[in-house]
Amino acid sequence: MSGKENKGKNGMKRRDFLKVLGVAGGTAAVAGSCSEPVEQIIPYVIPPENVIPGVPKFYATTCRECSSGCGLVVKNREGRAIKVEGNPENPINKGKTCAMGQASLQGLYNPDRVRSPLRYNTETQRLEPIGWDRGEEILAEKLNSLGSGKIVYLSNNVSGTYSKFVAEFLRPLGGKHYVYETFSHEPIRKANSIVFGRDEIPSYRIDKADYLLSFGADYLETWLSAVSNSIGYSKLRDIDHGKTGQVVHIEPRSGMTASNADTWVAAKPGTEQYLALGIANVMISKGLNRVAPGPVAGMVSSYTPKKVAALTDVSADTIEKIARDFATSKSLAIGGGAANTGSNATETMVAVNILNYLAGNIGKTVDFSDPLSISDASTFGDMKELVEEMRSGRVEILIVHNVNPVFTLPGELKVAEALEKVPFVLSLSSFLDETSEKAHLVLPESTSFESWGDYSPKKSVTGITQPVMRPVFNTKSAGDTLISVSKNVEALKNTFAEKKYYDYLRSAWKKRAEILSPGTSFEKFWEKLLVKGSVTATPAPVNVALSSRASSVSFRDPQFRGEGDFHLIAYPSHRFLDGRGANKPWLQELPDALTTSVWDSWLEINSAVAAKMGLEDGSYVKVDTPGGSFEVQVFVYEGIRPDTIAIPIGQGHTSYGRYAKGRGVNPFALLPAATDTLSGGPSLLSTKANVSSLRKRDLLVRTQYTKSQGDRHVAKTVALDQIGHHNGAHGADHSKHPDFYPEKEYSKYRWGMAIDLNKCTGCGACVTACSAENNIPFVGKKQIAKRREMNWIRIERFFEKNSDGSLDVRFLPMLCQQCGNAPCEPVCPVFATYHNHEGLNGMIYNRCVGTRYCANNCTYKVRRFNWYTYKFPEPLNWQLNPDVTVRSKGVMEKCTFCVQRINHGKDLAKDEGRLLHDREVLTACEQACPSDAIVFGNLLDDKSEASVLSEDDRGYKVLEVVNTKPAITYLKKVKQERV
Amino acid sequence: MSQTQQTPLTYARITEDVVRMVDKPSKKWWALFLPTVALVGLGATCFFYQVATGLGVAGYRHPVFWGVYITDFVFWVGIAHSGTLISAILYLFRARFRMSIYRIAEAMTVFAVLTAGLFPIIHLGRPWNFLWLIPYPNSRELWINFKSPLVWDVFAVSTYLTVSSLFFVIGMIPDIAAIRDKVKEVPRKIIYSVLSFGWKGSNREWLHYTRAYLYFAALATPLVLSVHSVVSWDFAMGNVPGWHTTIFPPYFVAGAIFSGLAMVITLTIPIRKIFHLEDYITLDNYDGMAKLIILTSCIVGYAYAAEFFMAWYSGSPYEWGQFVYRATGEYALFYWTMVICNCVVPISLWWEKVRKNIKALFVISILINIGMWFERFNIIVISLSRDFEPGAWGIYKISFVEAGITIGSFAWFFMFFLLFVKTLPAVSIAEMKEILPVPKKGG
Repeated sequence: MSGKENKGKNGMKRRDFLKVLGVAGGTAAVAGSCSEPVEQIIPYVIPPENVIPGVPKFYATTCRECSSGCGLVVKNREGRAIKVEGNPENPINKGKTCAMGQASLQGLYNPDRVRSPLRYNTETQRLEPIGWDRGEEILAEKLNSLGSGKIVYLSNNVSGTYSKFVAEFLRPLGGKHYVYETFSHEPIRKANSIVFGRDEIPSYRIDKADYLLSFGADYLETWLSAVSNSIGYSKLRDIDHGKTGQVVHIEPRSGMTASNADTWVAAKPGTEQYLALGIANVMISKGLNRVAPGPVAGMVSSYTPKKVAALTDVSADTIEKIARDFATSKSLAIGGGAANTGSNATETMVAVNILNYLAGNIGKTVDFSDPLSISDASTFGDMKELVEEMRSGRVEILIVHNVNPVFTLPGELKVAEALEKVPFVLSLSSFLDETSEKAHLVLPESTSFESWGDYSPKKSVTGITQPVMRPVFNTKSAGDTLISVSKNVEALKNTFAEKKYYDYLRSAWKKRAEILSPGTSFEKFWEKLLVKGSVTATPAPVNVALSSRASSVSFRDPQFRGEGDFHLIAYPSHRFLDGRGANKPWLQELPDALTTSVWDSWLEINSAVAAKMGLEDGSYVKVDTPGGSFEVQVFVYEGIRPDTIAIPIGQGHTSYGRYAKGRGVNPFALLPAATDTLSGGPSLLSTKANVSSLRKRDLLVRTQYTKSQGDRHVAKTVALDQIGHHNGAHGADHSKHPDFYPEKEYSKYRWGMAIDLNKCTGCGACVTACSAENNIPFVGKKQIAKRREMNWIRIERFFEKNSDGSLDVRFLPMLCQQCGNAPCEPVCPVFATYHNHEGLNGMIYNRCVGTRYCANNCTYKVRRFNWYTYKFPEPLNWQLNPDVTVRSKGVMEKCTFCVQRINHGKDLAKDEGRLLHDREVLTACEQACPSDAIVFGNLLDDKSEASVLSEDDRGYKVLEVVNTKPAITYLKKVKQERV
Repeated sequence: MSQTQQTPLTYARITEDVVRMVDKPSKKWWALFLPTVALVGLGATCFFYQVATGLGVAGYRHPVFWGVYITDFVFWVGIAHSGTLISAILYLFRARFRMSIYRIAEAMTVFAVLTAGLFPIIHLGRPWNFLWLIPYPNSRELWINFKSPLVWDVFAVSTYLTVSSLFFVIGMIPDIAAIRDKVKEVPRKIIYSVLSFGWKGSNREWLHYTRAYLYFAALATPLVLSVHSVVSWDFAMGNVPGWHTTIFPPYFVAGAIFSGLAMVITLTIPIRKIFHLEDYITLDNYDGMAKLIILTSCIVGYAYAAEFFMAWYSGSPYEWGQFVYRATGEYALFYWTMVICNCVVPISLWWEKVRKNIKALFVISILINIGMWFERFNIIVISLSRDFEPGAWGIYKISFVEAGITIGSFAWFFMFFLLFVKTLPAVSIAEMKEILPVPKKGG
């Protein structure tokens, strides 16, 4: 309303009056209406080069969430990383990811990241923000004034250039680098050193085995590399390619891994070694061994099946059967996991090694030519020593980098106290966890998504880490920080010629490039490396022979602390690992595979015992251990021995951000500093505990309260010898039901999916991948207690019984079935949900008024309603996929087979004047699925993989009787002859 | 009271009595009216809180996407039904016992539909977009889905509201004219004059009026059956076990009449007492209604049994599972409350003594109302809690917002009702006079 002409004598002109009226009215309407808030769009003033709005960029990098080192491809839109995918070129994960990997961007965008350097203020007794210059100055001062004490660099596994860098940094200062991984599998190393003379962890080739015998190794969850193991597992389960691999799992509790085995053998806790020896005994006595036993014969001769049966609670028949199957197939025995961390863990692994040796697996399924880099990690014994040194004041400067020993080391070690004795603690972590919180100075590291680096998870693979976007906060990569500081430290002045860690990395790779691809220019090599994400080498085969030390091992009973009735197993979680995943809300909200519990801890207790004690799901109990006691809710479970209780690791943080803090219990805090006698590895099964009921009960918050599917038969199985007999698959043919409306017609595509239940392990990678792709919010524990989780795909879990009464756990991924005859469509009064011409069950959020009839009428209950407008706290919202609408309160939402991906793919295909190729477009769940259980494709194309699988003999539709004509075909889980 | 019993009913007394009812409100009336307004305020506050925060404040949870609001909706639509039944169907059947109560029943119908009509909007995720359910030409070229029972609902309920309101207003014309002639104060006189449409009571007017009334009765009659059938299709057209059944339309209509009659009894008993209408609403009237309750109770009871039988006979594990769950699951208390209130309690009405005992009738009618509310709750909530997919089963819990809105809806209904008895003729003067014996000359 500016302009001089308006200021006439008539006061306000008519036009101005209308303007004011319009603005005022409009404002009132906006302010007063119930619709969505108005957002401002700020255009690029100067558009950056090479960024085309709407066109994503992809950067290859390496996942650093655990020590597996999977290759990633990160999708970047308009300068923000929005999604990670597995890098198909990477030999470890072959394009697959786990849930932790899928949630990794929630680490990058975590609202509780350290946003700038922090310094401990002795007056306020708090960490307070300072500038980078000041922070580096303080560190330089400390390094310059380093006295007689030690300087220790404590980091996670950083094998690759960075470990060399740390070594160079520490050398002039006389420091020591400890590589601390909570689960570094010392017993495996030690046993290999004893039996084969190789102090390392080999590559276990599950993919090459037909018979997998696991002594407690939770290979589908956390053991070594879950993704790579799952890929191998999937090969072993690939029944359509003639593989009928068998899996036997020995553990006192049936965890996710055991639940996927054909046979779960619940041996007495800590007696796995005897079982292995018994199996070896049968192999030798029956002459089933492929390799001459040599000195081994003497070691196992006394462990007759009968004796072992008495020691382990496993029948002699079972032992003999396992021995026979193991010896006569392409087998692999593995060991580890929480259950095998007792005082005799190394002995158990020695026995497992003997099995592999006798079956001739060394060099075949056990590959020593390609050891894992985690073999070089410091042992738990080293860590104990370090803590002692800290306590005695011998450590003058401690640099903590990406590890959280205060949380992950046993409570008995009292790390927090020891830390207080260290005069100067520097944390280079990105998060204020229990350890960083106690630091004197925090120089926050940019995450692996924001900095340069490399990582070598195993001998044959080195992956590159490159920034996939600019740092979200005022952070620097640890390498840059240390180089920058070194310039002001007397002793380090000439250590680094480079100004940036990037230059250091490149000079390191220059040397490698000369060896790897001589002749080509480094720039070309480097560019290729960045595109591919990793370099691979074929390691030379090694000869492994039985060491003479092997026979020196004597097998002893496991030692337990305390006098309780139960053995307490603390097991690493497939969602949080050692607790590092707990600050990511998508992982907190990912239901645990077996309990479907979220946002909390629980105690698994045998159902018969629970009944005797009057405990139900959600009852509170007090668990007393020699190391202290804790209160927790129970989960009543058939899949655990009556003499054992189990609690997952990962919760119970007292710090580490809003999502992690103050949930559940941290079992590490109660564990004794017990170790495996021979290897010095930590012992997670070392305590006996008493459980007493607290006589109160509350909801144990889960996403599924039904334990058995009863008479619903939604998750089906088929016996191996029944495949091909065409029983039931299409036996009850409901496709001939008369329909009121004419059959739907599709022209080019009918999108469908095949889900192989024989391969699905229930890991939940698909769930988190779906959340990341489709902007699915997390809702928190209180809302999940009201069953308001928003996941579009859920893994249903049913506890059934085998014919012999043993536990049969079934997983069923449940997502929108994109029904041909969808019950949700006709009931929507406003056409907000409709059938599109490609068979998808579309959902128009804008049109939805929220009658929710569609969800009521959905046979599969896969629709989710926005009960509130869920918010992603800044900057978590940076991850939102711009191709997918962010929903607000009052509208229904659901899976549409990632329609944005289909449309994107079709656009590209249209440019080339063709139809989409099979598996050109992958749905987010399919892309992540480490066991390749999900196949998406066009059902109109007879040759598409999804089509072929849909016609599979094992195929069935869930709840076919309702005549919804689902587009998803499930392939029955195969039941093999049981032990 | 003793006085009224002494003087026999005459034309003059009927008019006087009815006009006395619309007199200046007493303190007692205010004591009833103001709390209802306050409770309506409570309901409105809950609703606006819900709109502002989201439907999460209601007790809904996966897989129960409908709960108390739809229960309330069906309950109030059901209540509405017996009003039309009494005023229209019984009029056509010349049932004399309806004369004294039909006006109250009609008012109940209109107010119950007014209440019921709110709930489909209250329960929407985005209630500000409720207009999208109505087919009107718009520039967005959007249309509604005529396959959806919810669209049929919109038509059914709006038609019912229109017809029952017209019927109500037309039926009152002669009575309002009578009041108009009696009242003196200016504002009331004007209002009643407008509402009486200039009624003079001429022969010609009476001729047209009775014809018109008959046609409206004939027009409203099919609505009694159709509206609640359509409401039942909201469920029967779904595929949820426990919903998807052909018995629903008659079952719902019978249930609606059953609950509506009970509500008429619940409402008339205090009115009869407060306004001393014992001579108008007689024990014989109650006897007639109670007999209808027996009939509809039997139909409802039969439907409960038939549902169980069909679930078993169908051999469908989903249907059978649902009904076993209703009777034995977490909601068993609600299920048996319903059975006892709707099937067992009305058995007592087989005795005439009970039918003519006002106190007993009052208690029974309230129990039936409770039972019928739970019937709807059970159908909606228990069915949804356990349908096909076992992994999704879950329990619904009512929230304070839902309770607040439900209480508010009762208050809303009673608020209108209290306004009605104070402003409009609650007993039909004209029809009451029809049933009086023709007075002798000078008598």
